[in-house]
Order: sequence, then structure tokens, then C-alpha cells
Amino acid sequence: MLNIGRVNVPVCHGFTRRSFLQAGSAGLAGLTLPNLMNLQSAGAVDDKSAKIRNCITIFLVGSPGHLDTWDMKPEAPAEIRGKFSPIETNVPGISICEHFPLMARMMHKVALIRSLHHKTGATHENGQRWMMTGHDFNADSVKPHSGSVIARLFGQKSELPASVVLPGPIGNTGAGPLHGQTAAYLGSAHEPFFLNTDPSLPEFHVADLDVPKDQAGFRFDARSKLLSQLDDAQRRSETRSTTMHESAYHRAFRLLTSPKAKEAFDLDREPGNLRDRYGRNTFGQSCLLARRMIESGVRYVTLNHFDTVFNLTCWDMHADGGGLDNTYLDYERHLCPQFDLAFTALIEDLDQRGLLQETVVAVLSEFGRTPQLNPRGGRDHYPAAWTNFMCGGNIRGGQVIGSTDKIGSRPHTNPIEPPQILASIYHGMGINLDTTMLPGPGERPIRLVEAEPIRQLFS
Amino acid sequence: MDQKYDGTIPHAEIRLEGRRVFRGEVAHDWGLRLQWEVRRDGKVIATPAARAESSYEHPDATPGTYEIVLQMWKYVDYRKNAEREFINSKFIEVSNKVTYTI
Repeated sequence: MLNIGRVNVPVCHGFTRRSFLQAGSAGLAGLTLPNLMNLQSAGAVDDKSAKIRNCITIFLVGSPGHLDTWDMKPEAPAEIRGKFSPIETNVPGISICEHFPLMARMMHKVALIRSLHHKTGATHENGQRWMMTGHDFNADSVKPHSGSVIARLFGQKSELPASVVLPGPIGNTGAGPLHGQTAAYLGSAHEPFFLNTDPSLPEFHVADLDVPKDQAGFRFDARSKLLSQLDDAQRRSETRSTTMHESAYHRAFRLLTSPKAKEAFDLDREPGNLRDRYGRNTFGQSCLLARRMIESGVRYVTLNHFDTVFNLTCWDMHADGGGLDNTYLDYERHLCPQFDLAFTALIEDLDQRGLLQETVVAVLSEFGRTPQLNPRGGRDHYPAAWTNFMCGGNIRGGQVIGSTDKIGSRPHTNPIEPPQILASIYHGMGINLDTTMLPGPGERPIRLVEAEPIRQLFS
Repeated sequence: MDQKYDGTIPHAEIRLEGRRVFRGEVAHDWGLRLQWEVRRDGKVIATPAARAESSYEHPDATPGTYEIVLQMWKYVDYRKNAEREFINSKFIEVSNKVTYTI
């Protein structure tokens, strides 16, 4: 069985280009969700029995130093081990940075992956592309964001979009606009919904959910109806791009008119002490909003911790004395406490609501940071080794996958590359990576990612 | 978007039992570093982290008057001076103060 989108195509010996194109064009040319549901049968995508139904990726833009956070080397020389000390966690034998005391109490839920690395450039954008899409690419071959892949394969399960990015897209991180947070060739219907505002602000509301004040209800309905009529007229000469455009319009109308969508974004419905527990800051309130999104039917939330690395406190710890002047002080006073509070609040909250067992939370970054401190006491970009982690769903917590050498400079055991992270998420969500393909440029079938899941992650 | 910590300031009540200080929940918690500032005879002698535990007892029993207050980091911007200390961002007090004498 070959699955393209939600279209299951029976095949005996693999699939043919012809069967792919037939199903692919059906999938691309106007199949709405009911059509897709009618076409569902047991196939390559089995979301019914999958242990993981939702995903939240927290992307630590700028990238924490692995030696200062989740892969400490207290026995290394001072210029390697840095300024912080490790603390024991609630899992014997696993220690992490002293500035994550709350996370240390829930290590039994977390799987640390300490042997991540990639072999392309050391820019933020290389790492973002790897982690967001499972590929590195250039402007001629842009690949879709993993949230868009999930949106394309599973569709929406409520009025809310299948994929949401909080609080906004990654902006300038130094080396161009290709961050891997677009739907690329999957088309505008599968673009993530970008919040584009700070949910911690007192006046927070989502502009995209407001009907313009000069639009009375009947007038808005009339415009929606007119749009549908125009769409019907155009459907006869339908192309892939017009279909995508139509879907995007309909999605926008659904959002604008849905009380459930408005409610999902309304953080004022949360008790004050819970908002405090997450932290009254952009990241904390975005984590809380991520939980509300999942609860309301969003399948895939991407949460960018910062949208740039310039002229603000962020993980990009160069200590350069200029626009990239993050130091140990920023980690100790701001970044680690902020992350520790919000991340643990999110895990606790998801768990208490029964959502953690079906939601994977992946904390990802672009790369690690140089093992040796630079002359200013900072650390620079280092894609040869770093640590990320996952929990939730059927991820087996309390384990460490892979290791680095004595100074954290190279994977020592079980080297892992970013596509394996996405392969694991896709696998956990019930996608058979050997038989599920997407129609790429020219509608050629393309594998989601060229990697195998990390089997050790799962229980 | 840079983060803003304007408007409502976090607040918690603290109380003393013997030499151990206890804190309540922090209302309007900014989620940044929370620490006890311990002074002896007016001089800062310790700033231990206060996030993980809700109480603290300073181990030093040197005679003197001790004053303890809860502080939180207030981020204004990332800028630092030549000594690599923050210029505008700083710790602010977010609780009442308690004192004891040894």
C-alpha cells in the first residue's frame, strides 16, 4: 500500500510512477478532508494506532552550548568544562547543568540524545534547515517544514490549522532567509499558521482572527459566499496552485469565523497561577499557548525560542562584546531559568491533562558550541557535536542515547544526525517512511526524509 | 521580537521560622532567575538560587544581623559594559524583607 497524502494506493511490488502520479494529482487537485477520509484505508500512514498524535518542537534558536547544559564534562580542563557545575537528576547516572533544577526532577520522562552532529556549514541556517525539514538545501530546492508535511499527510482535525508556529517565524540569523519553516513545494494550503505576536503582552490578541471592524457579519458572509462562487467557476480550469490558494482562503475563513479558534488563543482563560508557572514571558506564554493549541486540535506546534540572534539575550553565546554578546551571565540569569520553568510546566501540564502520552515534545537546536572557550569566555558554533532531547508519547524517558568524547568534540558512541530526529517523529506518528512519499517539484515522489528512526528512543 | 518585562512586577511573601526563610508562590512570575539575597550587617554575603526549593537556611552562623529578600532578574536588554556586567538589566527585589540576629 502506498500512501500519498491520505490517498492510499494499493501496490503489489512497490509503486509505479504512474500510480503515484494518479494518486498524487488526485491528492493535489482539490481533495478536501471528507474526500480524503473516504479514501482512507489501512495503509502506509496509520495514525489510528500511532502512539504519537501530536508534536511540539521547541527550537532553541542560537543553540545552547552542550558542555554548559546537557552534556557536561566536569573532569575536563577549565577552558573546556566552563563555569557551571552538574547536578544529579532523578535518574541515577544522568546529570545536567545546575541551572535546570526543575528539569532534573523529571529526567525519568526525558531521552537525551548526546551524539547529534551534522556535516554541512556552521551557520544557524544550516542547522535550522536540517532540524526543520530533515534536509539541507539551497534556494533552488527548498524543502517543506516538518509541520507542513504533517499537515499535508494528516490534514486538520479541527477548525485550527494542522501546523502552528509560535510566536513567529525565525528571522535574521545571519546567513539568509532559508530557515526551513515554509511549506515549500507542498503549497500555501500547508503553510504553518504564524502567530506573529507576543502572547505575553497584556494586549495580546491574534490579528488574523479579527474580522475587520468595517465588515458587518452579513457582509463578511456575503464575501465568503462570493469567494466560493468564484472558486467554483475557476475550478474547471483548476491547477495545483489555484487549489492551494483556495484552500488557504478557506482555512483563513474558517479561522476568522470559528469561536473555537478564538477560544484556543485566549490565554485569559487560564488561571493566573498556571500562567505564572509557565513564566510571564514570551517563551513561557508561548509554551502555554502550545498546550492550548494541541488541546484544540493542532497536530504540530513549532515554538521558536527567539526569532533572531542579534542584539538580544539568546543562546548564541559568542561573548563578542558587540551584537552577539551573550555570556554565562545570560545563561545563568535568563536563559536557563526561563527554559527550565517553561519546559517543565509544559510537560507537567500536558501530563496532567492526559496529553503527554500522545504528544511528543522535542527540544532541538542548530548545533552545539565549541568545546574550548574563546578568548572572551564565549563559545562559537559547532555542528560536530551537540545534545537535544525528546519526551512524551512512547518515547522512553530516563535514558541517554549516544555520547561524545571526553571534551565533547565528537560523537563517541551512536552518532545521530538531524534527519533521524524527524524520522523518529514521523515514525512515532504512524508514518511508514519506506512507503510514504510526497509529490515534490514536478510531482516526482520524494521520501519524507533519508534516514531511519532512532529505535532506541521508543519503549 | 525582544522580550519585555514591563508593567506588573513579580511579588512573593516571605517569612522566617528560626533561621529558615520560606517563600510563597511568586505572583506574576517573570520566570527568570529567582534568588535569595542574604546580607550580614548590610553587606551582601550570598545569593543562592531560590527556584527549586521554597525555603532556605543560610549555613553561616557568624555573629551579626542578617537580612534576607527574594530577588528576580529583570531583563531590559543584553548590553554589557567593559567589565562584562549588564548595564541596564539587573536584579530587583520581589518580596518583603526578613531579619534575624546571631
